[in-house]
Amino acid sequence: MPEIMEQPLFNFTTYPAIGEDDWRYIYATAEIRAIEDKLLGQPFFAELAGAKNIKDALDMLSGTDYAVSAGANGQETEQMLGRRRSEVRRLFERLIDNEKIVEFFQSPIDFANMRLAIRRLVLEKPLSDDYCDLGGVSVAQFEAAFSDEDYGGLPEHLQEGIEAGVLGYYKNKNVRDIDFAIDKVEADFLLDEAMGVGGVFLEELFRIQTDLTNIKTMFRMKYSNSQLRNMFFDDGYIEPSRLAQCLEAGYDTIVQNFLATPYQYVVEAGAAGLQKENSFIKLEAACDAHLNGFLKTTRYITAGTQPIIAYLLLKEQEIKMMRMVLACKKSQIEPEIILDRLAI
Amino acid sequence: MQGNINATRMELLRLRRRVSLAERGHKLLSDKRDEISRQLILISRQLGMLRKEVEQELVETSRRFVMARATMEPEHIRAAMDVPTKTFSLAINFASIMSVRVPRFTKDIAGEIISYGFANTSGELDIALRGLEKVFDRLLELAEKEKQAQLLADELQKTRRRVNVLEHVVIPELGEMIRFIYAKLAEAERDNISRLMKIADIIRA
Repeated sequence: MPEIMEQPLFNFTTYPAIGEDDWRYIYATAEIRAIEDKLLGQPFFAELAGAKNIKDALDMLSGTDYAVSAGANGQETEQMLGRRRSEVRRLFERLIDNEKIVEFFQSPIDFANMRLAIRRLVLEKPLSDDYCDLGGVSVAQFEAAFSDEDYGGLPEHLQEGIEAGVLGYYKNKNVRDIDFAIDKVEADFLLDEAMGVGGVFLEELFRIQTDLTNIKTMFRMKYSNSQLRNMFFDDGYIEPSRLAQCLEAGYDTIVQNFLATPYQYVVEAGAAGLQKENSFIKLEAACDAHLNGFLKTTRYITAGTQPIIAYLLLKEQEIKMMRMVLACKKSQIEPEIILDRLAI
Repeated sequence: MQGNINATRMELLRLRRRVSLAERGHKLLSDKRDEISRQLILISRQLGMLRKEVEQELVETSRRFVMARATMEPEHIRAAMDVPTKTFSLAINFASIMSVRVPRFTKDIAGEIISYGFANTSGELDIALRGLEKVFDRLLELAEKEKQAQLLADELQKTRRRVNVLEHVVIPELGEMIRFIYAKLAEAERDNISRLMKIADIIRA
């Protein structure tokens, strides 16, 4: 395990290996290093959360990438955030120069578009053309495939997803089963892609994301006393059987079950948030913080795809946090709640 | 007005009947006004608490929804929420409170409010939607009671105006007319007596 030996000691018990340097990406990594300092930090967001009102918050953004006019409404703000997201995706595609990795990050958007299209299809709603245009399949191609019900032109994994989604729906005529079926296909596809790219980073990233999704799912099922079973993905580090056991256990026992894992603090935060505040905010913030921590370990890589991928995800997280803070300021939500959810 | 009055016994009888009717109407309307006031106070007492609770729950629900919506990517929130699976129909029947037609809502809700997977959605969205589902019954109750209160308040205003018109205008005016006719008839009676006395004096002389 040479990769693990190269990790700094303090990350060793929390995060898995991130792989080795790839000198083909020396220029791209240098470009990322030059711009990653511009990422807004926790203090900036804390100050933004404490702004007196939305106008003051928008004023504070004037010197950043997120500047909008003082009287900007929610739609204009959302458009600005959408533009920032498109820009970072374009930059990522330019720098990464690896179709498989690009596809890995585009396909979740394709799957999201597909979920929406299948729902509209089976419930006989108009298909419309308001799909997200950041995926690998263009909106026009997507719309044409669904309106003609001819999916031959779509990538194979999407065809598989469509088949699974439609079959899932017609089994019980339950719209939720479309998502469950597509989620499984998506997880299998992403794992294959991650393994196919080579190197450990993408695979480890996927496994951490899967674990965090499974932990969130476990808490959501437990909170709502859900009777659903087999909802966990198999591809993480945490065994689904352990998560299934947690559904029957009390919150204290759940925390104990995760004591020897890197997710101890995530689970502790989640259990405390649900017990004290009936809220998933702290759990979701802890999950984001855990993933950010993993992405930040790519600082120790001199050249490679890892810093570029990490930048994309950290920038998207920054955009998400910006949306959250502005939406909360607009709705006059207390700064304490905003700070609880902040994960940068 | 008194100039137009036909000062006859027939008119007097007619006016007396009208006064009696107006007094009975006044009594009935006063009772109606009191009962509507009582009902209105009862409803408004419930309404204050109910509105406060519903508003609190709605604020909490919308706070959670804002948080969930803001922390999910737009394509995921659209995929989860764009095609709703819960159907809702509302039937409005009418009941009568003190002859005021007040609405009674009957709802018919089918389907699950949560119709998305776990992978790309927020737990806060689950809580927000379940909260909305829970508050919906109370929201309808609030709408029903507020409409009832509004209709009863309108009716109370109308009834109070009618009672006041009867009490301060119609009945006093009728009384005035009756007094006038009495006076006229008494005068005619005195005329008649003095005329008869004069005739009697002429005959005696």
